[in-house]
Amino acid sequence: MNQTLTLRILGALLICLSGTLLLPLPFSFYYGDGAWPAFLGSALICLLIGGLLFHFCKSRKEMSVREGFAIVTFGWSFFALFGALPYLLSGAIPSPVDAVFETMSGFTTTGSTILTHIEGMPKSLLFWRALTHWLGGMGIIVLSLAILPMLGVGGMQLFKAEVPGPTADRLKPRIQDTATLLWGVYLLLTAVETLLLMLGGMTFFDAVCHAFATLATGGFSTRDASVAAYDSVYIDGVITLFMFLAGVNFTLHFQALRGRLREFPRNEEFRCYLGITLFATLLLLLFNWSGGIYQSLGENLRYSLFQVCAILTTTGFGTADYEIWPVLTQYVLVLLMFIGGCAGSTGGGIKVVRILLLFKHAQVQVFRLIHPRAVRLVKLGNRPVDRDVMQAILGFFALFIGIFVTASLLMAACGMDLVSAASAVIACLANIGPALGSVGPTDNYAAVPTLGKGVLIFCMLMGRLELFTVLVLFFPSFWRK
Amino acid sequence: MRILIVGAGQVGYFLCERLSLEGHEVTLIDHSEEKIERAQDRLNVLGVSGNGASAEVLEQAGIADADIFIAVTDFDEVNILACLLAREYNVPTRVARTKSIEYKDHRAVLSKEKLGIDLLINPEDAVAEEMIRIACSSGAFDVAEFAEGQVQFLGYRIDQDSPLCDLTLMELGELRGIYRFVVVAIQRKDETIIPHGADSIQAGDRIYLFAHQKDLPAIQYMLQTSRQETPKEKRRPRRAFILGGGRIGLQIAQGMEGLQFEVKLIERDEARCQKLAEKLDKTVVLHTEGSDIQTLKDEGIEHADVFIAVTDNDETNILTCLLARQNGVQRTLALVSQPELLGLASDLGIDACIAPRLAAASAILKFVRRGEIISLATIEGSNSEVLEIEIKPGSGILDTPLRELHFPRGAIIGAIVRGQDYEIPTGASSLRAGDRVVIFALPGALSKVERFFE
Repeated sequence: MNQTLTLRILGALLICLSGTLLLPLPFSFYYGDGAWPAFLGSALICLLIGGLLFHFCKSRKEMSVREGFAIVTFGWSFFALFGALPYLLSGAIPSPVDAVFETMSGFTTTGSTILTHIEGMPKSLLFWRALTHWLGGMGIIVLSLAILPMLGVGGMQLFKAEVPGPTADRLKPRIQDTATLLWGVYLLLTAVETLLLMLGGMTFFDAVCHAFATLATGGFSTRDASVAAYDSVYIDGVITLFMFLAGVNFTLHFQALRGRLREFPRNEEFRCYLGITLFATLLLLLFNWSGGIYQSLGENLRYSLFQVCAILTTTGFGTADYEIWPVLTQYVLVLLMFIGGCAGSTGGGIKVVRILLLFKHAQVQVFRLIHPRAVRLVKLGNRPVDRDVMQAILGFFALFIGIFVTASLLMAACGMDLVSAASAVIACLANIGPALGSVGPTDNYAAVPTLGKGVLIFCMLMGRLELFTVLVLFFPSFWRK
Repeated sequence: MRILIVGAGQVGYFLCERLSLEGHEVTLIDHSEEKIERAQDRLNVLGVSGNGASAEVLEQAGIADADIFIAVTDFDEVNILACLLAREYNVPTRVARTKSIEYKDHRAVLSKEKLGIDLLINPEDAVAEEMIRIACSSGAFDVAEFAEGQVQFLGYRIDQDSPLCDLTLMELGELRGIYRFVVVAIQRKDETIIPHGADSIQAGDRIYLFAHQKDLPAIQYMLQTSRQETPKEKRRPRRAFILGGGRIGLQIAQGMEGLQFEVKLIERDEARCQKLAEKLDKTVVLHTEGSDIQTLKDEGIEHADVFIAVTDNDETNILTCLLARQNGVQRTLALVSQPELLGLASDLGIDACIAPRLAAASAILKFVRRGEIISLATIEGSNSEVLEIEIKPGSGILDTPLRELHFPRGAIIGAIVRGQDYEIPTGASSLRAGDRVVIFALPGALSKVERFFE
């Protein structure tokens, strides 16, 4: 691996980060919260370190796959580390572990928070929190549709062909073109949601922060009670819709904007995603009704649909405390946590397409027991799925479960109860946010022991970067020349 | 009409034979002098040896006066080039045979319109269509449709259990009150006869009949013998086994999937199996040999409604069909390329044998003879033909009872279609302008029939 080149690119990324650190400044001045020196200081530190790395590490070599893995993993880690500076410098979050947890949760669009009193924070820091989501989401779109397919991680090569733009073999021009197009879509959707939320009575500040958190499927709110604080059917509706949209492959949105709306029903993953959403909502309606939670069907539908979208897309906003819902309902929600959004969306989790293909694979296995001489392929849409892709997906699933089990064990070792430990791990690994038990929707992660926070930070990073991207760095042969 | 045929292969030879018998002026071009000589010796055609895609040779063959140009060499490129040349000479109708060129696909860069070809025929497509058509009509082994499908032409094999066995046509005529159909021909060994009232149907015969589409279920019910299906069985989807996953097998599988058949496709080559599985959705692709009867039994061949063998080996196709029949498949269809084997195979108890070249040739014949003769089917194994003719106004045969007209020997009118109505002709029937008649004709009688209606 070429360390010099990697460091140089990481330096460039830090310089970019220093630029984004200046964005909360207007809010700081407008609200007079006095947090501006923290942002300015953080920006300077990032600029200095980034500039030094960029200046002194020079390499004329081309980037290869290995550097790709290192840059993605370290890039996200650097952002989480340096992005935590404003919290620390302003003194809003005194503990470095907590600050890094909050930033990692932001950049991985998880939405788990250690803050106990959100509304007491300086407004500019709340904006920075939402902004980390939004930037993380931007990174994820490009990562999952342009970079990971090329690195061949976890079956993501499936989407190689579906990326719009020229299909040059070289890494750079394609990533740039893809990124520009998809970011345009992302920006547009964010702007529309901000506008719609303002029409519902939100302030500009709240609307922007919530739109950032929705489109990135993050889930940081500017209120202690999350979206429930507004108690508005309209706002719930708008956020539900945009959460659902954020969980869809962004290339589909791009196609839709070009007038090809028929791509939605033609996409098998989208159909499955829609099916899961509707079916889960139906189950929730039924269980909540039989549990006597809500008086009217309308009310039941409003909260059930919102919660299904919030969990399935791994956003994690809350309008209801689902811990007082029947156990069956909670069980459905935990299952949804594992599934996650569509590949190529900002959602986390195992991804709908992988779940879909796993089931198809199982179906083919059963079929072959009945018809031993039959040749049958797993197909997505009308195209057969490569054996390599299927193996990568099986590997991904095994690894996902393996990490989930190991991390839950570590959390339990820290002294958490079983439900909280397991649900906290899946909530972080799938980048959702709130979990169950002591880290439920009305609680926060402040009380988790420091070691546990470390485990969860790592889970968020691995879950976000499709596991393999991070784990590959732990193989000694990766570092050898 | 003056017809120019390029290519004296099987299709070309067959077309020459048919078209010259029908009284057309046929010129045959082939680069092999030997083939030309053979054709000239046996058939009433003019032969020209040379390259069919050369303007000089075409001019020598008299392309300037030709009405129909048919290019059926073994080379797609030659056929297409020859047709392009024919367009330059303003030949009104141009037909070419292609094997590998995709012309049906919407994405085809060169469509037949662009090439200026009126009919591009692929023998494999023609055979696949034919197979599907036969497989879908239960009981019959040869089916053609006339008058937009109103009149069906069917062939049935009569075995000893058949209720029709040993009945004379006169006796059958009494049944006609209930079942409206006309037996137009009986094929006994190699002979095709147009039966009269006193002729009887015997076991081992194949009978050909015309019937209206809406009478089909009743007729099929009558002709059913020992293979009576219980109502429960009828409700389940029909099952088909196809042997051979080549282009023909794939097309048949795709077609039958669409017709709600449960299809199982057997192919010996594993890589090809993968390709087939890619292209087919519901079909079960089996990687095995056609003779692997144990696997076929495990897959339920006993309950199959139809077995279709379309490998590129005639012997395999015939033998596996026999094997399938022995294992209880109701109907078997085989692809047989060698014309010599066509007659033999049907004696073995295979329901239908189809030759790609004959299928292509009959499609070409059908196309060439468009106009007054609307559609035409060629009967397997014999040269008899069925054709449909529209009665022109001002014809001398109008409004006269048929028994008073001198209808040519060797031909019989099977049905008279008048708008939506349909009549079984008797001696008292008369024709009106605009009627369409469906006629069965033995070879040689065809031109007389045509003359009769002029």
